[in-house]
Amino acid sequence: MVSQAKGSAYVELRKTKVVCSVFDPREIPHQNEFRQLGQLYCEVKFAPFSCPRKRRPYVPDVEEKALSVALRQALEPAVCRHFFPNYQIDVLIYILEHDGSCLAAAINAAGLALANAAVPMFDIITSCSVAVIGNKMFIDPTEIEEHIAKNSTEVNHGIITMSVLSQLKQISDFTQIGSMDVECVTKVMEVLLKECEIIVPNIQRVLVVDVVKNFELKKHLEAETKKREEILKKKMDEWRSLLNGQ
Amino acid sequence: MAGLLLSSTEKVFIVHGVQEDFRSDGRSNIDYRPMELETDVVSHASGSARLRLANTDILVGIKTEIDTPKPDKPDMGKIEFLVDGSANATPEFEGRGGENLASSISNTMQRAYHSSQAFDLKQLCIVEGKQCWKLYVDILILECGGNWFDAVSLATKAALFNTRIPLVKALLMDGGNVDLQLSDDPYDFKFLDVGSAPLLVTLCKIGEKCVVDPSAEEESCSVISLIVGITGNSKSYCADKGASNITDVDIKCSTISMNGPGSLAPKTLKNAIHQGM
Repeated sequence: MVSQAKGSAYVELRKTKVVCSVFDPREIPHQNEFRQLGQLYCEVKFAPFSCPRKRRPYVPDVEEKALSVALRQALEPAVCRHFFPNYQIDVLIYILEHDGSCLAAAINAAGLALANAAVPMFDIITSCSVAVIGNKMFIDPTEIEEHIAKNSTEVNHGIITMSVLSQLKQISDFTQIGSMDVECVTKVMEVLLKECEIIVPNIQRVLVVDVVKNFELKKHLEAETKKREEILKKKMDEWRSLLNGQ
Repeated sequence: MAGLLLSSTEKVFIVHGVQEDFRSDGRSNIDYRPMELETDVVSHASGSARLRLANTDILVGIKTEIDTPKPDKPDMGKIEFLVDGSANATPEFEGRGGENLASSISNTMQRAYHSSQAFDLKQLCIVEGKQCWKLYVDILILECGGNWFDAVSLATKAALFNTRIPLVKALLMDGGNVDLQLSDDPYDFKFLDVGSAPLLVTLCKIGEKCVVDPSAEEESCSVISLIVGITGNSKSYCADKGASNITDVDIKCSTISMNGPGSLAPKTLKNAIHQGM
């Protein structure tokens, strides 16, 4: 989607819109020691018009930094960091519209963009979130549901976001805010595992379509190059015969 | 923590020991190290505490200020966390080096104290909609010995317990502007109710088992740790007279987060959370 980036992805979860772009590995700035594993530099930014309640300032505030840290935590186990020691890969997320569940959308977008950028990864990463209010669970909550869940005074309330590496069946990130007891947490975890599994085929389809498209494009370009080469050759032969004739 | 170099044989030794529920200093997987807790160490702060958990040394100071409450929460006060890694702890913390660690600790604390069941911000309210107390919790890491999250949360809870909020003596409502007079008497204050303030428990995954309260060497052997914030039962923290009035609250999770470049199988996560409780 973003042409200057090595890989990019755009994810829409109903109204939540997230763009992610991934850039080539580059040297780590301000770095003295040699590290065996590559680093991931994640930055999440909200567009100023994205939040319904207030306008976001330009300086990254606490929530953006927290999301960046959580995103990095989620992506680190998925990327094969031993392939680029002492380098860092930039993953930049821009949230165009925030209607709930933005960490989940950001992780999904980042996973897709990394795959699009041909960064070697161990597995496809998917993420989902659930808001709990009382004894009701809301999968993939909108912003209003999230707000109620965070500030409710019921016995069990909160938001859980979980991201899963699907084939390896490992959880790469699990964050919870709010207050809920252990049975609730374990129940929600099972629901989230199922949800993340449902997303996987969609991601696979998108990636396969993209790869097929790239192949077709390459074939098309090769065919065109051959045609042009033939025309050039003909012209060359003409001029050569002219020169020789003279 | 980086700066500690362990040979691979030492790491294997620690991992094998943990499998047998036996750690290098003789503890079992669920034992805490001995800790010393001292409150009221800083005289200028409204509340303070110092915690020593083996090698880890944390100092927490709390200052109170009067502020206006948020418009969508008119009867609740505010609490803000700031974590500062002092260069004494490790040379990496010099300047802005410790910022990543500091921001992750303060984020986790903010999330843990977010819920009204964890820490009731209504006790910080003075005049609904106009004035409330704002608590600035400043956490200073003096020495690193592994397991910061637990130590920070313990020290914060102790400091909040020690915090003295001055009582409001006189109020003048002057056409919308409120003029407060705080009591000058140093003995005239109220304490906060911190019975259910959350404590963070760090579970470090070493090999197949999870270990509570990892030391610095154990932390460098593990790839990932799980931090569970647990709100307490306020009944266990008050004097006998008031016990019957407070409702019995079950232990809850107020925040869960993962730390470290690794991943967990779902079953391990569940077991670990149970172990934390």
